[in-house]
Amino acid sequence: MSVKETLGSVLIAGGGIGGIQAALDLANSGYYVYLVEKSPSIGGVMAQLDKTFPTNDCSMCIMSPKLVEVGRHLNIELLTLAEIQGVSGEKGNFEVDIFQKARYVDMDKCIACGACTEKCPVKVEDVYNEGLVTRKAIYALYPQAVPLKYSIDADKCLKLTKGKCGICAKKCPAGAINYEDTDKTLAINVGAIILSPGFKAYDPSGKDIYNYDGSPDVVTSLEFERLLSASGPNQGHVVRMSDHGKPKKIAWLQCVGSRDINTCNNAHCSSVCCMYAIKQAIIAKEHDPSLECTIFYMDMRTHGKGFESCYNEAKEKHGIRFVRCRVHSVFGQATGEVGQIIDYLDETTGKVTREIYDIVVLSVGMEISPEVKALAQNMGVALTPGGFAKTDSFNPVATTREGIYVCGALQGPKDIPQSVIEAGSAALSAGASLTTARGTLTRALTPVQENDITGERPRVGVFVCHCGINIGSVVDVPGVRDFAKGLPFVEYVADNLYSCSQDTQDAITKVIKEQKLNRIVVAACSPRTHDPLFQETLLNAGLNKYLFEMVNIRNHNSWVHKDQPLEATIKAQEMVRMAVAKVALFTPLSEAELSIDQNALVIGGGLSGMAAAKALSSQGYHVSIVEKDQTLGGQAAHLFTTAKGESIQKGLQELVSDVTRDENIDLFLGAELSEVDGFVGSFHSTITQKEHTTSTTHGVTIIATGATEYQPDEYLYGKDPRVLTGLDLDRKFIAEDPALNTVQSAVFIQCVGSREPGRPYCSRICCTHTVVSALHLKEKNPSMQIFVLYRDIRTYGEREALYQEAREKGVIFIRYSTDDKPVVEDGGEHLTITVTDHVLKRPLAIQADLLTLATAVVPYRDEKLAQFFKVPINDEGFFAEAHVKLAPSNFAVDGVFLCGLAHYPKPVDESIAQAQAAASSATRLLSGKTINTSGNVAAVNPALCSGCGVCEAICPYNAPSLITDGRDAGKARINPVICKGCGACVASCRSGALQLKGFEEGQLMAMIDNI
Amino acid sequence: MTEALEVTGNPSRIRDKALALIPDGNLSACLTCGTCTSGCPATGQMDMDPRKFLRMAVLGMDETIERHPWVWVCTMCKRCYDVCPMSINIPQLIYDLRAEWPREERPKGILGSCDHHIKSCGGAMGVSLEDFKFTIEDLAEECREQPGFEDLKADLDREGAFFALNQNSREPVTEPDEMLPLWKILHTVGADWTYYSKMWGGENYCMFLADDPSWETIIRTQVEHIEKLGCKVFINTECGHSFYAVWQGLQRFNIPHTFEFKSIIEYYAQWIREGKLPVNADWNTHGIKFTVQDPCNLIRKSLGDTMADELRFVVKSVVGEDNFIDMTPNHSMNFCCGGGGGSLQAGFTEERHAYGTVKFNQIMATGADYVITPCHNCHAQVEDIGHHFEATYHTVHLWTLICLSLGSLGENERTYLGPDLAEYGL
Repeated sequence: MSVKETLGSVLIAGGGIGGIQAALDLANSGYYVYLVEKSPSIGGVMAQLDKTFPTNDCSMCIMSPKLVEVGRHLNIELLTLAEIQGVSGEKGNFEVDIFQKARYVDMDKCIACGACTEKCPVKVEDVYNEGLVTRKAIYALYPQAVPLKYSIDADKCLKLTKGKCGICAKKCPAGAINYEDTDKTLAINVGAIILSPGFKAYDPSGKDIYNYDGSPDVVTSLEFERLLSASGPNQGHVVRMSDHGKPKKIAWLQCVGSRDINTCNNAHCSSVCCMYAIKQAIIAKEHDPSLECTIFYMDMRTHGKGFESCYNEAKEKHGIRFVRCRVHSVFGQATGEVGQIIDYLDETTGKVTREIYDIVVLSVGMEISPEVKALAQNMGVALTPGGFAKTDSFNPVATTREGIYVCGALQGPKDIPQSVIEAGSAALSAGASLTTARGTLTRALTPVQENDITGERPRVGVFVCHCGINIGSVVDVPGVRDFAKGLPFVEYVADNLYSCSQDTQDAITKVIKEQKLNRIVVAACSPRTHDPLFQETLLNAGLNKYLFEMVNIRNHNSWVHKDQPLEATIKAQEMVRMAVAKVALFTPLSEAELSIDQNALVIGGGLSGMAAAKALSSQGYHVSIVEKDQTLGGQAAHLFTTAKGESIQKGLQELVSDVTRDENIDLFLGAELSEVDGFVGSFHSTITQKEHTTSTTHGVTIIATGATEYQPDEYLYGKDPRVLTGLDLDRKFIAEDPALNTVQSAVFIQCVGSREPGRPYCSRICCTHTVVSALHLKEKNPSMQIFVLYRDIRTYGEREALYQEAREKGVIFIRYSTDDKPVVEDGGEHLTITVTDHVLKRPLAIQADLLTLATAVVPYRDEKLAQFFKVPINDEGFFAEAHVKLAPSNFAVDGVFLCGLAHYPKPVDESIAQAQAAASSATRLLSGKTINTSGNVAAVNPALCSGCGVCEAICPYNAPSLITDGRDAGKARINPVICKGCGACVASCRSGALQLKGFEEGQLMAMIDNI
Repeated sequence: MTEALEVTGNPSRIRDKALALIPDGNLSACLTCGTCTSGCPATGQMDMDPRKFLRMAVLGMDETIERHPWVWVCTMCKRCYDVCPMSINIPQLIYDLRAEWPREERPKGILGSCDHHIKSCGGAMGVSLEDFKFTIEDLAEECREQPGFEDLKADLDREGAFFALNQNSREPVTEPDEMLPLWKILHTVGADWTYYSKMWGGENYCMFLADDPSWETIIRTQVEHIEKLGCKVFINTECGHSFYAVWQGLQRFNIPHTFEFKSIIEYYAQWIREGKLPVNADWNTHGIKFTVQDPCNLIRKSLGDTMADELRFVVKSVVGEDNFIDMTPNHSMNFCCGGGGGSLQAGFTEERHAYGTVKFNQIMATGADYVITPCHNCHAQVEDIGHHFEATYHTVHLWTLICLSLGSLGENERTYLGPDLAEYGL
């Protein structure tokens, strides 16, 4: 067999958030990406969501910059309306057959003006809006879609089905309509494949229990998401779909299409529904505080970072009612009046109680579509009994076919952050398999020559955004635009429906060139998310990117003053006037180019740290691991098996041996960092091992410092040898302690130290760990009586199968409440554990030989490390990532990444995935070799500087220093590479010698003068 | 506070037995989610509900549940099993626990009915074959005096008849005139039918008694006799549990047979479509409102929503589309009336009435003047709760209304009609 050439390209199947993230990671680290998407545009389900939990960020707002980045990326080729048909070849060189449906619109010609849609006579169910409204047969998926190109629904178009009509071709000013377009098959050769096809929401139609077919007031959660969304069919006004009446009561029914092997075949938990129901209830109540929201559930599964506190707030602050009952069914009223009847078992009274709701939201679960399952099988990718891709905990994104990786819901039901983590992990794994071909197929950007505007009179362009109706429904956008027209130096004004969409970006580029604009103001949303996008547009137009000012007329006007449209408009105009005055004073700023040291430092030699190190080493980078203990392994050294039954000791030993033998990895055991200096691309750290110190320079840092097990002081722990923690029990399993075989009765108590006032978070791993341990005990002695005392069982995802298995094998689960905790007493021969049964409401006295406490995962709260790298720690003591949804493995500080338990409690597979994701983000930086720092940095005017040193003392980043020699000796200077542009020094400078570029005194005074 | 229950080392006999005997019988799989209980009209009766019951089994509280009278309040309507996310067969557990009761300790009413049935080889009311024969002949005579029915035939054990029809004992014993409308319908469509003599009673209290051998005896005897007569179709009259006893019995006891087993309602629908039963709603000039009870045994437990749709087709054809108001929920989701499972004979009247409040409220929400109950137990229970809770609705079988619509309902066949229709068409 001839050895085929390894290709430096990756095909990603599925353009949802996972596929997008993986594409960006790969394309930014030297690989050419084909992103294959079934629908006409990328975005997936996240593009349909209103807000995302637990922070309630606008989903589209945080996603849009990524969509645009993919759309304009030189090394990402989008293949829309396309699907994989078959795969041949092997790792390094696959041939993928793609079927691409005809779009009937020439993408090169379409200008997305919408003239075609306006006149199209055919109405079609609008899939993006979950069929709540109709769209036309020629359409764009959604306004911010990437690519923003129209396409024709061939099944519905009159011209294509009956040869009639043809109006769109007549209306299209660009001549883009092509009825002769044909379906195509293409063959693409790539080195690796990532499957990210996402999930299919469970379809409750045809099931009489939910009355979904019977009433439009029973909606799925995705439909409700569209109802909540400002871009949805009712502009965000939640109404009963039957009569458009205002609802007073809304109910959410959890586990619809999940944890059910009777009315459907989905034994798994879908992992996300509890949180999204809470989110939807909170948002609905924010829209209308008088609304009564009730969530009917079995176990509330808020096991993610920040979720439990969101759940607590939902109860305590928002007054959302949680009723623990899976309701039997929903039905309408006999006389046909509005209102859906729900009977539920009220656990407090033991009686069936009837309530009538205006809207019932079915929290539908995730499943894998039959098409995707068939494709996986066809490709030789094995699936679990639940229909998800089969993976190994130590290789969480590798499918059973070498060279094919998976991320997102196909890997198992999961939320956005976990999908993003897996996307990074899959990108890393795919890239690592192709390192020899890195950079062989990518193209480099030819930078647009920056025009020198020195001496030019300011020519300001002002672009005002409607953001659909997000801004436009409150603020008079054309009014703001016209107001701007009359401001000094303003040469051009325009308003855009969505300024962030790709076509608008291109249009702005064109206008800047045509109108010779040299200062730009965009009045739209938040610069936090959208500054980089518009700055890139300026670059493309040949303008220095700092000649730009953004005005946030969404958050500051349309959102906060939604009931005062007139005042909101006036305020928006004032803000635009201020911005124009400021931008006119802008000068081009320069950025420092920084070379990235090609070494990495990983802090923590546990599973995550080692996995991250190995991942970086596999990409060809040199890594140093700093581990405080004398041995590698961290908590994994005490763990018995994963949820999938793999031996953790075996996996750990393999990893330790890989890391130890790896020439690219230096190990520092019994070591800690004693000093850290520098910044992204060039950190200088001192590693101390007893007396010995080592200095190292590294371009990136990964924090993988882990966490520890809570040592309880309750339930006789430490006082009775029969009382263990989860790790104690695992140690006994590992040691094959014969005492375990003779246990007759074992009890587990959950949430020991978790979900309590001092430690309000859920430790995520303990429910699964307990259930797995119970099964191990049952294996040792099938007649052993096992009781699990719990608050909510949180065996999320496919782990639910273990919970089911444990029950089926006779493990008895008893739910306790915090105001009636179990009581443990030493009964001599046995421990006596008394707990009130949640069903019978009577105390049970269990005689046990073994009590295992599922104790909390406790973070180290390493303030020193946080100080070293200027990274934040949250209230709970875990490190706080840059963005909970879209940057879970990154810090806001450049060049520092995060993974494992230091981020949040997580099991082995998720720890390794995050380690690889952190490595993937690090690789993006390392492979770029250089980065540019911000131009918005402080600068000293030496003529005014008195050399007092206050700036040096006050800077949290160590950017200022006093010059020691030369003409300006004794004066301060700012290292622009370290400066974060926070302005602390500027404010503290008594001589007025410091200015922050882009926020100079004159510029700010100009703004104030214009209020 | 209740004394703590000692739970260690109590493997549950009931749980283990269910696991061994019942498909879908792993009680331990219970999520304690409340689905069963929130949809069960027996919840709260005797301070018990399906979830509690299962929980006691799981915790090994066998002593509490093995003789718990709640098993006779539960009607085994299967509403719980249909929706239980873990697909646990609670009705079968109840049945098996009923079967564990010493036979003589089971409710006297049910026990007596079963024993009468077996002993008389006729029906649960112990009527002799001679009496049944006499009633048929006497009534047929009387009917032939009515215009249009001069040639009416009603006979017993006629070999080669196309249809064999079962007959619940209640009519020949207590209200023989109620038999006539069905005969008239069969006569109108020209059906070739006969009653059969062995185990002619349609009811099956042995099934309610959880007495498998007796249940089987009744069905097997019927089947063998009908086979001997050579009938092509075995028609079940307007009765839910008698339908289920045969339908389930044929499978459960694996009884060979060549006839087709059908509900009379399927034929009503067919005959209306074929024009053989020329019903219409012209008579309902005052817009009298009707609702219909879906018998659990006929709909949810056996023939499903197709049957429920057929039932509605018949009802609407007879009372008029606009005069029909459906209860909610309906079809397979309908609530049991509380008269099923032998409860009418079980002796727990207070609990049965309490159970029936769910049905009663459902009926009252429709505002209907009449409840059509194509089932004997539904009829008796709906009628009874109507009296008990002092409602004014009336409870009728379909045959009454079909004959009313055909103009052939006799003067003595109107027991269940209200004053508004008592004289209509005479």
